[in-house]
Amino acid sequence: MQTDIAGVKKIREKLRSRFRKWVGRRIPPSRTVTLDQRRIFIFPSRVGFFFGLSLLVMLVTGINYQNNMTFALTFLLATLFVVAVLHTYANLSGLKIHAVGVPPAFPGQQAEFELLLEKGRKRPYMALRTRWPDSTEVVTSLVDEDSARVKLHAPVGERGWHHPGRLLLESTYPLGLIRCWTWLDLDLYALVYPRPLASEVPGGEATDKPNGASVPVEGDDDFAGFRTYRPGDSLRQVHWKGLAKGQNLQSKQYTAYADRSAWLDWEMFPGVDTELRLSHLCYWALEFESRNEEYGLRLPGVYLEPGSGERHRDQVLKELALYGIRERVK
Amino acid sequence: MKAEQQLPRNALIWIILAQFSLVALHFERIPLWILLVHGVAAVWRFQVYAGRWSFPGRWVKAFLIISSFFGIYFSFGSLIGLEPTVALLLAAFALKLIELAKRKDAYVILFLGYFVCVTEFLFTQDLLIVLYSLLNVVLITTALVALHQPGEDRFNYRSIRPASVMLAQSIPLMLVLFFIFPRIGPLWSVPIRSHTAKTGVSDFMRPGDISHLSQSAEVAFRVQFDGEIPARSDLYWRGLVFSKLEKGAWTSLDYFDVPAGQRKHSPPKNLSDPTSYTVIMEPTQQNWLYSLRYAMPAEARVKRSSDYRLFSPAVLEDEFRYRVRSYTDAVLEPVLSDWRRRTELALPSGLNPQTEALALELRETVDSDRAFANRVLRKFNQEPFVYTLRPPMLGEHPMDDFLFVTQRGFCEHYAYAFVVMMRAGGVPARVVAGYQGGETNPVNSTVIVHQFDAHAWAEVWFPEEGWVRVDPTAAVSPDRIEWGLEQAVSAEGTFLSGSPLSPLRYRSVLWLNALRLRYDALTWQWQSWIVGYDSQQQYDFLENLLGEINPRKFALVLLGSWALILIPVGFSLLGGNRVQVRSEEDKHYRRFCALLAKHNLQRKPGESPGEFAARCTDVLPAAAGDLAYISDLYGQLAYANEGTNSEERLEKLRQLKRSVRRFRLPAQRKNPA
Repeated sequence: MQTDIAGVKKIREKLRSRFRKWVGRRIPPSRTVTLDQRRIFIFPSRVGFFFGLSLLVMLVTGINYQNNMTFALTFLLATLFVVAVLHTYANLSGLKIHAVGVPPAFPGQQAEFELLLEKGRKRPYMALRTRWPDSTEVVTSLVDEDSARVKLHAPVGERGWHHPGRLLLESTYPLGLIRCWTWLDLDLYALVYPRPLASEVPGGEATDKPNGASVPVEGDDDFAGFRTYRPGDSLRQVHWKGLAKGQNLQSKQYTAYADRSAWLDWEMFPGVDTELRLSHLCYWALEFESRNEEYGLRLPGVYLEPGSGERHRDQVLKELALYGIRERVK
Repeated sequence: MKAEQQLPRNALIWIILAQFSLVALHFERIPLWILLVHGVAAVWRFQVYAGRWSFPGRWVKAFLIISSFFGIYFSFGSLIGLEPTVALLLAAFALKLIELAKRKDAYVILFLGYFVCVTEFLFTQDLLIVLYSLLNVVLITTALVALHQPGEDRFNYRSIRPASVMLAQSIPLMLVLFFIFPRIGPLWSVPIRSHTAKTGVSDFMRPGDISHLSQSAEVAFRVQFDGEIPARSDLYWRGLVFSKLEKGAWTSLDYFDVPAGQRKHSPPKNLSDPTSYTVIMEPTQQNWLYSLRYAMPAEARVKRSSDYRLFSPAVLEDEFRYRVRSYTDAVLEPVLSDWRRRTELALPSGLNPQTEALALELRETVDSDRAFANRVLRKFNQEPFVYTLRPPMLGEHPMDDFLFVTQRGFCEHYAYAFVVMMRAGGVPARVVAGYQGGETNPVNSTVIVHQFDAHAWAEVWFPEEGWVRVDPTAAVSPDRIEWGLEQAVSAEGTFLSGSPLSPLRYRSVLWLNALRLRYDALTWQWQSWIVGYDSQQQYDFLENLLGEINPRKFALVLLGSWALILIPVGFSLLGGNRVQVRSEEDKHYRRFCALLAKHNLQRKPGESPGEFAARCTDVLPAAAGDLAYISDLYGQLAYANEGTNSEERLEKLRQLKRSVRRFRLPAQRKNPA
């Protein structure tokens, strides 16, 4: 008995994976898809079967009463069904789906996947239902506008590239009797940062940097030297004299009295498991960012100059997320 | 509730509209309170929509269902029969409206709606009703479409368009199926109409019955002759033969009244010169069929009785078509059996004593049966008898009152009196009822026989001649036979006095009359080809069309005709104009983008040329100039509104083409961030 159930499960799994492979061949991954007959599946819906049953009852009524108008109505509805197949198919055919993008997210969060649905023909596209296996569902219609943006929220897994699965785009418009759908692999991956896990202060020091190098931090107090001009620096801070002397464009730097500067280093957590290390590093990166301190990143093979700001944070987190993962661009 | 389960308001309104349109058809044949239930249901649902009431709870629903059952039972007297079943269906239809909350409820109610259309057809297949039902189908389908148009909060009449288009595309396909789908016999028996009134001449006759029938302007049947139409005075449509007079009413002989040996009719003599014709009868809920004497039917489902009547074993619930060959000169029963003679001479004693006495008196004055008949006719002719649609009531001895007191009567009075006198005088005679005359429709040369053409006359038996037709009405009002009822009572002005709106009263209004006749001709075609399309007709039609009939040809015709219709439909749906027309500038720009794509710079969907150029400049600062130039040029060409052939535009296109051709990516570049 046990082996039977196991056997059935095995067969099911086999069939499923075969099916997935077949779909994968038919509808390969692509960031932009135009629906055509290779990609569209069509089959009567459950309501469609119920409709068919009603037609059968009507047909039998017509036969038993020998009533020609009953036949006429039954046939009209049957042919309506056939015509509706064409209309339902046409409601999906030619539709273009573009993957716009997805901002990175943390594990357990809902990432916002954005799609663009675009008309392929001048006719309207109605009641298009889109969702990923675990995501929210959105119903869109393209009537007057040629395109529409769709935002779907799906939970993401652990760090790395998260693929939400195949997007299901379906519609039963206009009569609800036939279901027309497609599964798309939009080649859209969400970058998932490591789960931030708090740890003891790295290096055991409350506020100081783990290793000695101090990095100037933006501030207002003391003049602390020059640095290369960054776009956005106040022009009053520009070292014009230096420029006149033939040096590069430089800014004067002032420090607040801060000894905040940090290096997030791989070696900070000796003996700890990789994922855990990354999680701790992530936590501390967020910590430093929230305190407006500068921080750099040092991992095997990765060296990031200290800095702060949203862009810097994203870079750091991205490196942490993609540590050990070969594909760096998706 | 998930979005897809909700019921758009637009759909709700269309559903209610469709429902009312459907129920309106049935109002004649269902109890009034069911219509009331529909009204209440609509009001309730509206209140729910307006937020004032809530959906009924389980107990309320149960109460409504049970009380509907009881209501129907009491209105009809039983739950068996077609009418109670339909009433139940309509009650369910109404109650479903109250609990219409989710999309799946809407599916149930709409499919029920299609079924309600079918129930209408079980009662009548009249052309106008069918067209109205088509409108109902459009409404139901529109509601179905509206159900799948998300977010419609208000009534949107445009939902009707997709539904109409789809139905219009389905109709040709349906026609092919209709003519090809094999007609097979009933699979099992079904509830029949038990509460519908009988129409036409009934199987017993009392004085006043025929004149009552003559108030109706309904069509009884239509006839199409193969050859020339006989003269009006020869059109005696024989349907019923009354041989028994008891309790003041004439009735036909039952099957068991006739002795076993004489049940089959003996074939008449002198069969020559047949007149062939086709009759289509309106449903009567009776079995009698009308024909010119002596009629031989051409099909198995028409039977003949021993007194040479035609009848259908199955009650006429729908239009009934039959072909007949009539031999007008045939001699029926030249020799009478004893039993027959006795039966056709029988008279109840004491019913009309004065009449019988007069008959005996008159018989003395002549020497042959024929002369006797003529003598009686002369009496009707010469004495002041009046032919009227409003004969006065008669007393206990009806014919005595009629002959000696009132002297005013309709055809049944004259026939009754004549036959009584014949029988009293020893001449076998019987009353015959049916229709006389009919209107010839110039549009298609059919004869339309209305209910007001109903008539009663007599058959008298003479030796060697058999049963001979004698019409006493002709002696009193020859106009009736030559011209019809309207002419005969024109002085009286009582023709169709109960139907002031009937178009038959306005035959002098030429356009109205022409319309009526055209519509009648259309009805003939409709009944002949569509409503009456049965397996025999199908066989003949398809054999004419296809030659030999075999399954392969069937399939071929079906698939071929469907392909002929579906392929253009498919093209119109799927071959629509593409949104982007590949213009010149698009081509060049695409090439430009393709070049950049090779270096991993994909233009993102929705990104404008300017934004894209800026992004690329970040990566390839050395190519900034070219990138900006090309993007700017493309932007001008694509979005500016210049004439297609202006010099400027062509020049710009040339420049764009050149720059894209010459565009080279610089060798060194910064790594993408």
